[in-house]
Amino acid sequence: MTRFKELDPILHSQLRLAVMSLLIGIEMAEFTYLREQTGATAGNLSIQITKLKEAGYIEVTKKFRNNYPQTLCNITKFGRLKFTEYVNDLKDYLSPEKPG
Amino acid sequence: MENEEKVMTGEESLKIISEMINKTKFDIRQGSFYLLFWGWLIFACSLSEFLLLKFTDVIHHYYVWLLVIPGVFVSMLYGFITGRKAKVRTYTGMLYMWIWLGFFISATVLFIVHSKSMYTVAPYILLMAGLPTFISGFLIRFKPLIAGGICFWVITLVIYFVGPVSYSLGTSVAMLFGYLIPGYMLKNRVDHDAV
Repeated sequence: MTRFKELDPILHSQLRLAVMSLLIGIEMAEFTYLREQTGATAGNLSIQITKLKEAGYIEVTKKFRNNYPQTLCNITKFGRLKFTEYVNDLKDYLSPEKPG
Repeated sequence: MENEEKVMTGEESLKIISEMINKTKFDIRQGSFYLLFWGWLIFACSLSEFLLLKFTDVIHHYYVWLLVIPGVFVSMLYGFITGRKAKVRTYTGMLYMWIWLGFFISATVLFIVHSKSMYTVAPYILLMAGLPTFISGFLIRFKPLIAGGICFWVITLVIYFVGPVSYSLGTSVAMLFGYLIPGYMLKNRVDHDAV
């Protein structure tokens, strides 16, 4: 029987996975961009971003632009590594090697 | 995407990953603006110079190239405004910007080095312009722009062997095939995708 590695619980959640998938391909994104692309509410997105930040997967920078607060997010090296691991685990899960 | 704790299947996870990654593609609209702006500006300058040389006795025909100076400011202003408005910074977008900035710096250095023999600059500028055009075509996966880059190199060879008499007309043709045609095709693709 093939044993599966447990999928990373931080990433195995719709919204957190969506945020990480967006950030993996870009250098930096504004909070509003992430909200538009994921279709999530600001409150829910804010909670999930905090979880990702606390896990060390992303960095959050707060700035001001034209006197308005601006929240910028970018993926960390650790986050990139965990995302790659998650995708590899997912591949194993979806197409497990048949025992020889 | 509200119920974030809902248990996902592997297929659902993959679907989210691929959907989100597709959303972060580089916005190619900026690319079409620069191609069309510089395409028309250089096309107008080179064609005007050609017509002045061919049909008039104007000595300072190269003065038409002074239009490039406000062009640089317009480009910088556009880049500054769009950069400030941008909610996202893609790796492709950054690479695209640095490649063209590198070309701009190289061209400026070339103009300074050749300031006493400006009429000889055209083949070198076209040769250099071919590289960012060619690479940009690959970056945004747009074949007409790759072909545009190749056109610059072919026209460089042609005007080099024909001689200085062909420089201004050659530059106009290069702008047509290198920037304007790919620029309009890119714009049409963006408009079509936006419908």
